[in-house]
Amino acid sequence: MNSACLALAIALPIVGGALMPLLRLPDKKRNLLIEILVLATSALAFACVLRRPETNFVLFHLTGNMTFSLRLDGLGSVFTCLIAALWPLATLYAFEYMRHEERTTSFFACYTMTYGVTLGIAMSEDLVTMYLFYELLTLVSVYLVMHPMTRKALRASRTYLYYSIGGAAFAFIGLVFLILYGTTTNFVLGGVLDMEKVGGNVQLILLVYVLAFLGFGVKAAIFPFSGWLPKASVAPTPVTALLHAVAVVKSGAFALMRLTYYSFGTDFLRGTWAHFAVMSIAMISVIYGSTMAVKETHFKRRLAYSTISNLSYVIMGVTMMSPAGLLAAMCHMVVHAVMKIGAFFCSGAVLHQSGIEYIDELNGLGRRMPFTFGTFVIFSCSLAGIPLFGGFISKWCIAMAAVETAREIPYAYAVVGVLLYAALMTAIYVFTVVVRAFFPDRGSVTPHPEVTDPNWEMCLPLAVFAVATLVLGLHSGPLLDVLQSIANGGF
Amino acid sequence: MNFVQNFPCFSIVLCMVAGIISTPLKGKGAKRVTLFIVSLVALLSFVTLLYILFTGTGFTYTMGRFPAPWGNELRAGLLESLLATVFSLVVLCSLLGGMDLIFTDIAEDKVNLYFILVDLLLSSLLAILYTNDLFTAYVFVEINTISTCGLIMIRESGRSLIAATRYMIMSLIGSGLFLISIAMLYGVTGNLLMEYIHVEILELAASGQYQVPLLVIISFCTVGLAIKSGLYPFHSWMPDAYGYATISSSAILSSLVSKSYIFLLIKIFYCVIGFDLIVQSKIVNVLFVFGLVGMIMGSVSAIMAKEIYRMIAYSSVAQIGYIYMGIGLATEAGMVAAVFHILTHAVTKSLLFLSAKGLNEASGRKRVYPALQGAAFRNPLAGAAFLIGSLSMVGIPTLAGFISKLLFATAAIDGSQRKMLPTLIVLEVSTILNTIYFLHTVVRIYTPVGAPEEYKDVRIHPTPGRIGALVALILMNFGLGLFSQPITDLIRAGIEMFA
Amino acid sequence: MMITWMFGAAILLPVLSGLFLLLRRGKIQNRRLKCVGIFLVMALTALLAVGLICSPDYELTVWRLTDTISLTFRLDGLARLFMGMTVAAWTLGGVFAFEYMKHEENEDRYFGFYLIVLGVLLALDQAGNLVTLYLCFEMMTLTSLPLVLHNMSHEAVMAGLKYLFYSIGGAFTALFGIFYLFANGLTGSFTPGGYLSAGTVSYTGTTGMTLFVLLLIIVGFGTKAGMFPMHGWLPTAHPVAPAPASAVLSGVITKAGVLAVVRVVFYMVGADFLRGTWVQYTWLTLALITVFMGSMMAYKEQLLKKRLAYSSVSQVSYIMFGLATLTVDGFVGGLAHFIFHSVIKDCLFLCAGAIIYNTHRTRVDELRGIGKEMPVTMWCFTIVSLGLVGIPPFSGFVSKWYLAVGSLGSGTGVFTWLGPVVLLLSALLTAGYLLILSIQAFFPGADFDYADVKKHEVNALMTVPMILYAAATLLLGMFPGTLIGFIQNIASAVL
Repeated sequence: MNSACLALAIALPIVGGALMPLLRLPDKKRNLLIEILVLATSALAFACVLRRPETNFVLFHLTGNMTFSLRLDGLGSVFTCLIAALWPLATLYAFEYMRHEERTTSFFACYTMTYGVTLGIAMSEDLVTMYLFYELLTLVSVYLVMHPMTRKALRASRTYLYYSIGGAAFAFIGLVFLILYGTTTNFVLGGVLDMEKVGGNVQLILLVYVLAFLGFGVKAAIFPFSGWLPKASVAPTPVTALLHAVAVVKSGAFALMRLTYYSFGTDFLRGTWAHFAVMSIAMISVIYGSTMAVKETHFKRRLAYSTISNLSYVIMGVTMMSPAGLLAAMCHMVVHAVMKIGAFFCSGAVLHQSGIEYIDELNGLGRRMPFTFGTFVIFSCSLAGIPLFGGFISKWCIAMAAVETAREIPYAYAVVGVLLYAALMTAIYVFTVVVRAFFPDRGSVTPHPEVTDPNWEMCLPLAVFAVATLVLGLHSGPLLDVLQSIANGGF
Repeated sequence: MNFVQNFPCFSIVLCMVAGIISTPLKGKGAKRVTLFIVSLVALLSFVTLLYILFTGTGFTYTMGRFPAPWGNELRAGLLESLLATVFSLVVLCSLLGGMDLIFTDIAEDKVNLYFILVDLLLSSLLAILYTNDLFTAYVFVEINTISTCGLIMIRESGRSLIAATRYMIMSLIGSGLFLISIAMLYGVTGNLLMEYIHVEILELAASGQYQVPLLVIISFCTVGLAIKSGLYPFHSWMPDAYGYATISSSAILSSLVSKSYIFLLIKIFYCVIGFDLIVQSKIVNVLFVFGLVGMIMGSVSAIMAKEIYRMIAYSSVAQIGYIYMGIGLATEAGMVAAVFHILTHAVTKSLLFLSAKGLNEASGRKRVYPALQGAAFRNPLAGAAFLIGSLSMVGIPTLAGFISKLLFATAAIDGSQRKMLPTLIVLEVSTILNTIYFLHTVVRIYTPVGAPEEYKDVRIHPTPGRIGALVALILMNFGLGLFSQPITDLIRAGIEMFA
Repeated sequence: MMITWMFGAAILLPVLSGLFLLLRRGKIQNRRLKCVGIFLVMALTALLAVGLICSPDYELTVWRLTDTISLTFRLDGLARLFMGMTVAAWTLGGVFAFEYMKHEENEDRYFGFYLIVLGVLLALDQAGNLVTLYLCFEMMTLTSLPLVLHNMSHEAVMAGLKYLFYSIGGAFTALFGIFYLFANGLTGSFTPGGYLSAGTVSYTGTTGMTLFVLLLIIVGFGTKAGMFPMHGWLPTAHPVAPAPASAVLSGVITKAGVLAVVRVVFYMVGADFLRGTWVQYTWLTLALITVFMGSMMAYKEQLLKKRLAYSSVSQVSYIMFGLATLTVDGFVGGLAHFIFHSVIKDCLFLCAGAIIYNTHRTRVDELRGIGKEMPVTMWCFTIVSLGLVGIPPFSGFVSKWYLAVGSLGSGTGVFTWLGPVVLLLSALLTAGYLLILSIQAFFPGADFDYADVKKHEVNALMTVPMILYAAATLLLGMFPGTLIGFIQNIASAVL
């Protein structure tokens, strides 16, 4: 396939989204158009993945050896597929969810543009290009956070903005160092550092790696830079679900994979203090996220904290610095995307149908919205890592990678411990919801007797995600095979 | 001598002539003359640039009939002609962008005076860029100061008068120091032409004579020009001056005037004193430190600013800090970054001022933040322009600011180890601070207002000039961001021509 | 092929009918029909299970989650033992519940989950490798949760959550070990005698770390068995459940923890690997602490069901102690005690249930003279109490005998004699907290007013299970040969 298709896949939603407000269509037609646009992009993206263009596509030259160019490799394909699969469904959900909101056209314009930008991150050939899309992602998605236009939303959007751009600023240091000390800025599995140039500056480069890690980690909500994520849950649910559980935060995790495995290289990093540092950061984030989630009583914020902890699962996988670690990270990236977007959609459905935001108000709602909470049980089990559900497989992979790494670096056993601590916390914070919904305290009243399950536009994505969670749990062999070969550099 | 070699002199003289012609004219006429001349100067500078590129060497041009080592000379290299081109383009854009306001802000009988001042300013800017002898430099520095004062206070509002006075005092202190250093140089070397001074100084340095006077010269000259260019902590005049002048003035002043001094300083460093000597004198370290402090303090002040112009003005303080930091790195790469940032800042700051004016108009001429809410919807072009300017300042790839940042960072890493980490950290912290104040404003202007009726009467009809100026500046921003390679090459070649 | 079908049917039949009941809850008006249906399902499941028990050993891989993780089920002696106990307890508990649940709400939900847990337990008993075991274990926790919080009072819901979090926490602790063992090469299915002692696989783990994770596994799965220090949930959760549920929770589900520990220690790692290590001593210590502590707490406790729950804490750790001696006799004693304790504790809880159902009395001191009101119940209560204390010819004596013998022959230093001493002490306490009840029930003292005491026994649906249990206690105590022989077969294979 022609490599220009990559650019087309990115440009389609960006341009389409940007033009949308100019068309001034009535809501129905606009929705149809957007869905077609998104589906077409997804189709194109899948086509790109299936018949991968061999060559890269250079958008333009920046300075001598810096180009903005696109190329699809294994890791990028995984992310592309993930995004392309989730976006149409999330858009569908958003139509129904946003029906009664204002300024929907500009919302959907940004929503669609974000799609293109995220694809850009997935398809970037080098660090510079990724950095560009990374910054753009912040900018287009910030509008989505501020969309409710309440004081809270505005404050959240500013926080998001400062955190993200600040993070990118530190990632920028890594970028500059790679330009100077690397053979190229392109992503090559195994890293691109030029050891001759590095020479005696090993410690410095390690420091830079940690800085860049923290920088990109901001989007992946690592502790202590995770403050924006729970705040940003004021955004409409389709945004929290798709962006703050998948697109944006996974871009951060994705960037960390690129940084660790494809830029600095694991051979260079393994066993150094930087390795320990990033591993510790990931573990602390997991503990922080999962503990805070237990404390939080706001439904969406609880899920947001859960996202913090789960993203750091991915990062723990990344910090194993081995092919198995990369495999585990990718696996959890995929699985978490599916289950968390589902869980968020459940919370969104609750909010949309009943207006309930806090968990202690959910008394007995499971009876009223059996479908929504039925799927929520599936996502909960998956999040908690119960076998047969997707989450178990990815946790299994992470643990296997950790134990393998721990043979050389015993510190990695702590990762397994943290994983299980977090799993317990996860069980606590998801199952309390389930229990409250299905087994309300005797005497507590279900406040909204007329609440029902939402209509098909919201239920369909839920069903699809629930089925996907189960399929990932039951039959993950093919997925793992593909990820395995990517992690080993086969693609 | 090729005819093109006359162009630098022509541009300077043309500007002055334009000023003289404008004297009897009414505002409209003066405007036409000025616009024409500015465009012409841009064209001439560009041709000069091409010529130098084509021939591969710079040239000197003797003014009057006194041959060297006497008399006055102009020297045109790649850098000079490049900056001259950009500067005249920015003046053009700023004038076009604020044209309608010049006629409303300024009393009718003084409009032609305004244009005269602009002509004078441009001529002095060009002269400062091109000059090859220190005395000419000093003369035009003073002309520059006077015309700048005029531009600030011509609006005749109370605060602009105060601002002009402040500027005058600061500027004169700077000029005074500069003058003293020139006088001492003359005393020590007996020359005013740069090359000749340079030769003498090298000899002096080699022989070890006059070490203390040389140090004094270097520091006076540096400090003088630093004060004039508003390096922190000599920036106090900026916010008022930029905030209350008519918008074209703000744009021109913030983008160009202080930059011309900086360029003069760079030129003196290379052509007069010699860069090695400068590095030995450690004065660059001082500049470096103040640059860093300026980056942070400027941004912090910008965050605390309550209105948009002051915010942009304080941002200039920070940006000047960037430039001095680049100079302070004391490497060629740092210098390239500094010069590139001069260009970046010139095209971005004027864009920001012009667009801020547009936002301000769309908000009932209120300048405080709350009033600006939703302004980008009422004036989409200004909103977009402000957005792009902000993003450039924050350093989003594909925009000029990103390349500046990249160049600074690369220079820092390539340079001395001691300066690397402070530079990088301050650079990143300042990026975050930039984000805070610029994007805060962006969020503000893109937040719809609760009660749109309040602004129902606001009808924004930007003049074609405004549109053109904004679009041109936006394009220049993108141009610098996307096609930076030739420009950085050019700057590097230009700096090598100095040495 | 036939086996596969039977296996699938035995698990799916109760699960699917349970789900059906859940979906149709509140819609089936005819209670009698419903109860008959449920009984048929249980009976059929029991038949299928018996069929499986009688069939030769098998190993079935039903699904592959990934290339390395498969869901495998295998039938061996241990599985037979547990399956037999499970279906027996479930059927009797179910029959009891037909009557008992009349006074609770939401009985459809109760029976639905009751059936589902049965299926899950049957699967758990036959789990053939670590992952399958873990899967079934988690499923058991989740599906048995509704049984615990059934009456949905605030207390019950909180107890349910406590149960859930302790269980899951324990399972995750064990999961650490599973991760470690699996990642280092112990990927096969359960084999009597284990892999490590025999050295039949290439194992990459270090001894120190392996021992550590084994302790984690023991403590983790031991949570379910109420072993110190993770016993806190048990006295909270068991009493709030409806009595028949408490019976199976105490009688069968706690034993799942035992099963899991046995599987890991004796079927994956091997007893020799553990023998004489600090982990064995820790395990012994924990078990003894639990035994003693449970008895003490039970002695102090005034709520009847809670007292029984503490008693379970203590008794299940008898089993743990027996296993921890790593001797044939200890193993036999442990597994025998598993059966006996299940029978006895089921019966005790059913008795308590009958009392609550009939008289709404929950405190121990309210039970004076109740022997006159409910003689059958209290007779059963007395018989099984004697069994639990360990008085011949009742069953508890046999298992305690083996436990003591095992302990004495274990060569574990101080534990050889400390174990029997603690067991003895605990038996005395058991007598103290159980027999005192019988005494007060039948001999309320001279000042007791017999005037308003009327005999009103519960009906046959409730008495028959209790009587059967009591009879089993007696019979197993008098004729333990077959059972002991069967367990000895298992023991000789693994030790």
